[in-house]
Parts: sequence; C-alpha cells; structure tokens
Amino acid sequence: MQYLRHCNKFTTRGVSTQVANADLNITDFVNRNPRNLERMRIGYKPDGYHVEKPGKCFWHKLNLSQSGRYVYATIEHFENGTVLQASTKEWALKKQLYKCIDSSAYYNLGRVLAERCLKSGLIEVYSNITPPKPDGKVAKFLEALQKGGVNLQEPPQFKPPRPWDQYRHEKPWEVTE
Amino acid sequence: MSCILWKFSSNINTRSSSAVRNLIRHGHHLRGKPPGVARSLKQRLEEINYKNPSLHFRVDIGLPPPVVSRSTQLKERLSVVKQLRKNSELEKLARNKQLLINLEQANEEWLRTSGYYHIKKLSDHYGVYEHLFGDAYFLPVVPLCVNYTKADVKHPVYFGNLIKPSDAETKPEVHYESEKEALWSLILTNPDGHFTKQDQEYIHWFVGNIPGNKIDQGETIVEYLQPFPPKGTGYHRHIFILYKQEKRIDFSELKKSGPCLNLEDRTFSTLEFYRQRQEDLTPGGLAFFQSDWDSTLTEFYHNTLNMKEPVFEYDFPPPYIRPQEWFAKRRPFNLYLDKYRDPKQINKEFLMRKLKNVHPFKAPPPPLPYPNAVYFKDSVPQWLKLEKIKSRLKWGRINEIE
Repeated sequence: MQYLRHCNKFTTRGVSTQVANADLNITDFVNRNPRNLERMRIGYKPDGYHVEKPGKCFWHKLNLSQSGRYVYATIEHFENGTVLQASTKEWALKKQLYKCIDSSAYYNLGRVLAERCLKSGLIEVYSNITPPKPDGKVAKFLEALQKGGVNLQEPPQFKPPRPWDQYRHEKPWEVTE
Repeated sequence: MSCILWKFSSNINTRSSSAVRNLIRHGHHLRGKPPGVARSLKQRLEEINYKNPSLHFRVDIGLPPPVVSRSTQLKERLSVVKQLRKNSELEKLARNKQLLINLEQANEEWLRTSGYYHIKKLSDHYGVYEHLFGDAYFLPVVPLCVNYTKADVKHPVYFGNLIKPSDAETKPEVHYESEKEALWSLILTNPDGHFTKQDQEYIHWFVGNIPGNKIDQGETIVEYLQPFPPKGTGYHRHIFILYKQEKRIDFSELKKSGPCLNLEDRTFSTLEFYRQRQEDLTPGGLAFFQSDWDSTLTEFYHNTLNMKEPVFEYDFPPPYIRPQEWFAKRRPFNLYLDKYRDPKQINKEFLMRKLKNVHPFKAPPPPLPYPNAVYFKDSVPQWLKLEKIKSRLKWGRINEIE
C-alpha cells in the first residue's frame, strides 16, 4: 500500500459548484499499482550483502540459460520470480530458426525479448551477464536487447533525505525534460 | 607468569582495575544457532509468507484455451522443422549470423500458442487479477488489439506499456477476432485512481452487446473518458477487459447518459459487476497500459472535470530516531539535541534568522561569491562556527526552508 499525502496548494479559482467534482473530499490517495513505486524509483529494492555474488540488488533482473537444444531468457523480479520469458523452444521462434542454439538464435531471442519487455513496460532491467567473448553468442544477445530499446541498468533506489543530511538530492519524479 | 597474575587479580576488585580487566579475553560469541543449522532469511520469509493451498486458491473464470491434439501438432511441427533443416538459404543466413526472424509473425504465433500463459503471469505481476477479480483469474485467450491514434501516430496498448494521457484523449480502435453472431462487452477501468474509495475503480469506457467485433454497433453504456492520473501519484493501470456474453444483457442500470463527467458516477467495481452477471459473462481478452501525469491534464481538470487540480506527494515513512539518552557520549550536543526537538520549531528558527536580513521593499542582496570567506566577529565557539558555515553553504537543515 502506498499512501500519498495531499498537498493541494493551488490558489482558489473560479470553480463552478454545480458539478459534484468540485466538492470531492480528497485527503489520502492510494495507488494500488504494485509496480508504481518501483517505476517511480522509490520502491523497496533489496540491498543484499555487498560481497555476495551474484548480488540481490535489483527489481528486475535478466537471466540467460542454455540447455542442450534451446536458449532461455527470463526477466526475474526479486519478489515475484519469473515474470517474463522467451526461449527458442517456443514454436513462434523455433518455426523461423535454423538452429535453436546458434548465434542467430541468440540474436533473435534478444530481439524477441526486447520487444516483449517494451510491450510489458519493463524498460530498465538489471543484468550481470558478462559475455565470455566480445563477439560471441551472449554478446549478440545483449546487443539485440539494447538495440531493441531495453536499458540493461537499473537506476538506484531513491532514498528520502533525512533532515540532518547535507544535501537534498533532486527527486526523480520532479525532473521533467 | 599468568598463574601469578591470576593470583594477584583475585586479591583486588576486578571491576575497578582496568589493567587487570584488559587481560580478560572477550572472545567472539556466536549468537543463536550456527549458520548451517539456523534457517536462512529466505527460509524464514517462506515460512512467514506461507499460504495454505486449500484456503488460498484461485479460480479460473475465463474462456478455455483452445484444445490442440498433441500428436497432430507434433507431426506438423516436425515436418516444418525438417523442411527448415533442408533449406540451404536459411542455413547460409544462420551460419553467417544474418538470420533475422519476422517479429510480427513470431508475435502472432506467440499470442496463439504460449502467449496467454505468459501474459497471465505478467498480469499477476501487475496485480491485475488481484485488484479486479480478487481470487479469480482468466487466461487472455482472445488477443485484443487496442490502438490509440494521435496525429497519425499509433500508440498501441499491450500489457503494461506507458501511454501518456495526451495520447489517449480520444477513444481507441479496438480489434479482435470473433464469430459474427457472438456478443461481447468491453470495459476500460482504472483500479488505481479513485479519489475517495481505495478499493473502487473509475470506469473510463463501457461498450456492451457488441455484435462480433464491430465496436461501433455496440451499445455505449459509459462514454469514453481519457486517463487523468493526478500529479505525484505515479503510474496508473488502465485495463481493458473483453467479456464474451452468452446472451443479450440489459445494462440499463449502469447506463450513464451524456459524457458523464461526474466522477462519483463513474465509480465502479469489476468484482461486483462480474458477480452479478457471472452466468452470462466470461472474460476472454485483456490489454492494459500505464499512464502518468502530464502537463495537458491541468487544463483537463479545470475545464472538463471542473475541479481544482489535485497534487499529491509520496508520504515517506519518518526516519528512525532511537530513544534519547541521558548522557549521549561522544556525540555533538547540538546535533544530538536537534534530533529530539520539534522539526517545525527548528525550521521556524532558521526562517526567523533568514527573515531578519530580508527587507520588505528592497531587492535581496546578490549572493556572495565566496560565502565562507566572511570573517567571524568576536570569538565564536567552534560548534556555532560550524553551524554558521553550514548555513552559509546551504548544508543540512537550512534546506528545509530554502
């Protein structure tokens, strides 16, 4: 549950009182969207233990795995587990591929996953995958994801300044380009 | 030697003699069970969040997914794969790393085969079923194409993508595949935006008794209203749900005449709506987008909804401050005591100090290029010097009033 304080500081305007909207009694507002705070960058993000590897500091994380025949890519949420997936095992991809674990399979899997990520509103995803070869399959996969519009870095969680803190950092939701 | 010392220490009071106390080793004590034996945080959380499956289960209320004979499907697929393997051009492309699959075709096939399971998982992640249907869910078996158009630019709705309110001002084009004689109803609701009741929704659009996929011929129960997420409340889900009707349903009690700009009238609960008509309605299609405030909404609130524009700010939990001690050792007294004072009073003091140098009619003096190079008159204690330096540099609590 996320409570949002009402700070209506608008100067009084000529508001017609015939419409009932004018006398709506608005006090607290609750946005029930479970992804809202994460997208606003103020949701809880586990810190994990800093020397632990792989770390646990993410909202959404990219996972890539390969079996003998197929490649699987998933987006994992720290609480909800796997939330989005794509693999060359799916008939939709397999139908158009020559082989399901070669370089072009990896590249096309990246394209498909990028498309699904954008469609589902997961634009920023944490990734700790380091490609073993700079021009290998995994690098191709990551390249396709980034070309498709997915950002492979997540912004840090915004923590509110305490009154005694030295600086007041800019609030991410007040920045408008 | 140690033996002698031990004898010596037994003669005197160990508490008073620090020299003797230093000889006692305070070893590392393990609190609780050792790591291999004790449960990990993950295990503990699993135990806390455990839900009894016989009590917490969910019901599928949707249309059944199409049944396909596995053997015929396998046969078809195998033959296709064999042909692919024989295709030398495809092989060339694949080996040269130039094979690009057709994403549109792949997407269509995905929606027809495993897509609805994936979308269901994603909708669970977005809390769609939980907030609309409670303990029920459905598989979005009917692919729903929703397209907003603004200035010839299409803004399609998928499952959670972002669409700004200014792009969704007019009602969208909706398309789905259907038999001619089937009846459908389409509802667009926002479960996050209700101003007064937290567990209710605002209905943005309701078209009932749609014959086939002709939305225009359906009966408009509630006119379309664009999304209006208030400033500061973040991203609101706007969910399209397509229900299949068993027969023609009379929606006259829900019917709102005119554009219906009174928000109270648009209060809606999908769960209640579905409960009353569950014999005749089956959800089949799902699409949703997220929307957040943009600058065009100010005008919309003032001119269309005829109300002041509400502005919100997230209410962060206050920082933890541990109970005050009588003797706070090794902590600066001013900083320590400030933590336990009323923050409003502190801010007031800062404001008073600031207003002392403000003239009501004259323009404020320009800020100093080097504020810290101002000489301190008389003797000033170090803590006060530091406080003044902090105020000059706009560090710390002075920011609360700036």
